[in-house]
Amino acid sequence: MRGRLLGVIASFGLLVGVVVVYFIFILEEAPPGVAASVHGTTAQLTLQTDASYGHAPYPDWVTYEARDPSGHWQHSTILKIPAGTRYVHVTVYEYDTATGLRNPFFAYVRGTVGGVIQLNGRPMNYVDAASPAHTFTAPDLGLNVPLPGIDSSAKNQCAAAPCRTSEAHNTISFTFKTPKPGNYRFQCIVPCALGFLYGFGGPMQTIGYMDGMIEVA
Amino acid sequence: MESASLPVSRPRSDSPPLGSLLGFNVVSATLLAILAYYFGHKIGAVIGHHTVWNTSSDQDDDAVLIGMGFAILGWIAGLGFFNYPIGRIFGRPVALHEGNEGGAWRYLRLCTDHKVVALQYLVATLFFFFIAGLNAMFIRAELTSVHGTLFPAGNYLTLVGLHGTMMLMMMSAGVIGPLGNYLVPILIGTRRMAFPRIESLTMWLTVLAGFVLLSATLLGGFPTGWTGYAPLADEARSGIDAYLVSFGLIGISLVLVGLNIIVTVMTQRAPGMTWNRLPIVVWGFVTTSILAVLSAPVLAAALVMTISDRTIDSTLFVSSSGGSPLLWDELFWFFGHPEVYILALPGFGIVLEILPVFARKPLWGYKLAISGLFGVALMSFMVWQHHLFMSGINANLRPFYMFSTELISIPTGFIFLNGMGTMWRAKIRFTVPMLFCMAFFFNFLFGGLSGVFLSDVPADTLLHGSFFVMAHFHYTIMGGLVFALLGGIYYWLPKMTGLKLNEALAKAHFWTMFIFFNLTFFPLFVAGMLGMPRRVSSYNAALHNLNVFVSAMAFFLGLSMLLFLWNLVYSLVFKREPAEQNPWDSKGLEWQLPSPVPAYNFERIPTITSDPYGYGEPGAVPVADFGGVPAGASA
Repeated sequence: MRGRLLGVIASFGLLVGVVVVYFIFILEEAPPGVAASVHGTTAQLTLQTDASYGHAPYPDWVTYEARDPSGHWQHSTILKIPAGTRYVHVTVYEYDTATGLRNPFFAYVRGTVGGVIQLNGRPMNYVDAASPAHTFTAPDLGLNVPLPGIDSSAKNQCAAAPCRTSEAHNTISFTFKTPKPGNYRFQCIVPCALGFLYGFGGPMQTIGYMDGMIEVA
Repeated sequence: MESASLPVSRPRSDSPPLGSLLGFNVVSATLLAILAYYFGHKIGAVIGHHTVWNTSSDQDDDAVLIGMGFAILGWIAGLGFFNYPIGRIFGRPVALHEGNEGGAWRYLRLCTDHKVVALQYLVATLFFFFIAGLNAMFIRAELTSVHGTLFPAGNYLTLVGLHGTMMLMMMSAGVIGPLGNYLVPILIGTRRMAFPRIESLTMWLTVLAGFVLLSATLLGGFPTGWTGYAPLADEARSGIDAYLVSFGLIGISLVLVGLNIIVTVMTQRAPGMTWNRLPIVVWGFVTTSILAVLSAPVLAAALVMTISDRTIDSTLFVSSSGGSPLLWDELFWFFGHPEVYILALPGFGIVLEILPVFARKPLWGYKLAISGLFGVALMSFMVWQHHLFMSGINANLRPFYMFSTELISIPTGFIFLNGMGTMWRAKIRFTVPMLFCMAFFFNFLFGGLSGVFLSDVPADTLLHGSFFVMAHFHYTIMGGLVFALLGGIYYWLPKMTGLKLNEALAKAHFWTMFIFFNLTFFPLFVAGMLGMPRRVSSYNAALHNLNVFVSAMAFFLGLSMLLFLWNLVYSLVFKREPAEQNPWDSKGLEWQLPSPVPAYNFERIPTITSDPYGYGEPGAVPVADFGGVPAGASA
């Protein structure tokens, strides 16, 4: 009887072990969320797009970084917006070179307040379809912002995240209305995943790199 | 035909545990597989460094895949599958049996006793079945909120993929493995399968496939669900490599199991076991085997094509380089739809085998049932494009596939006719196996009728990719196959183990499972018709209450399966009450043998004198003549 009991306990332990592995690798794998800074009724998000992450496990992958309220850059694309705000103001420091869009539809700015973005201080509602390095596109919000890349011959290009503003970059800012509470996926439409089929593998489908969530709560 | 009087030896007593652990068994196989993976990964990393894609993408597909290839070899070597062929090269004599001695330790290594292999299969597939069920619980937990918050969005897809792939893989092996391997030799009156080592190999490949698939969580998961569509599979992270290898292992295993069963039934039948006397469950396994042998190689080829796309840049599924993503769809569903019937046909066989026992009437329409099984098997190769109605196929093909899909309901209807005809005006004994069989017909009716809707192009245009489809196939696979399998387990497990299962727990399991299965999946037809998409963790807020209700019912369904698990542990590990030789008063050949069945099944090969369905027939003769020797007596 003792042997049987031990057998049952061992089997149960094995099952619990498998469950723990699941929790570790499925439930807990998400990067930590980064909260927006709040100024009055406006949430401020500050992001950067980098040509290569520069660190394990995928040093060559293109990636976003997000700045937390204390001013530190975090490797995350889980962006938390307070539901009580009216607007979300986003500033993106774009450090990557242009890849260009396959579909020029996404060269048009959509879903922002006024239908425009500020590219290095200049208002724009459209960019050259060959110029984006990335887009900030949230289909559920009707939001599409092309992020023009830097000149490929620019000096002082950033090698690894997080990049510094002393390195070559474009600054894109825009504002959109805070949506009702919920989770909204955002993604990049530019096929920017170097080395992957069609440019849409790897970082393009991985949370924390070019795939992300806007969580309004 | 095997000689009628093989020398029969009794199994030796248990070997010392430590000594057993040092030999060729699952422990050494696991260690060897892990070491081999590490070694192969290193080699693959060197090779992969020189390929085009990997240098720039930080993907390590070459390393992972070569590592897995080495791990497979290590696993097989660790279990001792190379010992016999190598021994033969060096002049070792021919031996039909291997590893049959050693008591309980036989269950942890290569063993050529088909009854041991069947129980190995049963434990392994139930283990993975419960893991896949756990995934289902996670999925339902995620869907209790409109915008899933429990899992990261990308990981939800992995969860769905793991659930679907593991369920399909393990259920393919889960019926034909335990019940097919156990029953076929006994029911046709022989002592073993035609290829006993291959039989054992298929079991251990299935176990390895399950663990390889689980390893996808360590490799970044995979976003494709169980269908592995291109080009998503070409683009996906290394987790998809685990999907490709594990599905490939199952494909190989299915082909080998199928060949083994076909050859066994064709060549090993006892004298008098004419085709007209073959038990219907054996016909179910034969037709399933034919499907497996014809369809699984196509899957294996498609998997190899994807692997070559991901490693040597073959671009077979890459349209920009002249390949075709639609080619994957065609190849996958050429396997995938027969696969549905690989799941269904053994279920048909099981219920038709069990019904006459508890209806106490002969099986109604034996030949009609066989034609139904073969009709379904044949037509399952002519319907696969109904999965592609919305994939841009030639519109002129749609009417044919709509018609052929609707036509397959006719041979399926034969099975229903057999069941209803057998139960018609019968004095039914409502035992637990019978309850499961009756529930099979109830559930499969909903699954089948909703399938007719989905085969209709206009309806499919609206319902494709929705929860309606999900509810449909859960009604056919879980409501059909799993209910039939459980009926089979409750029916045959006393014979397989020699131990009784607790009936009160079994009845509680049946009623809770039946009620909560229907309360879980029927509302999902409604959710699908209201537009709820599959494989997406967010849905319309108007469907929130419906989803909360479904999730609650799913959790109760999960609890009902724990009742089953507890019954197994309680009855087989703790109570261990010996089962009678023939508790169901069945005429089946297996029930004329002691419980559990002795090592070599029959002291003398019996002469079959009748089919096993002569219930209530005046003058019905016993199913077999054992030649004056008590059935199953061993030397």
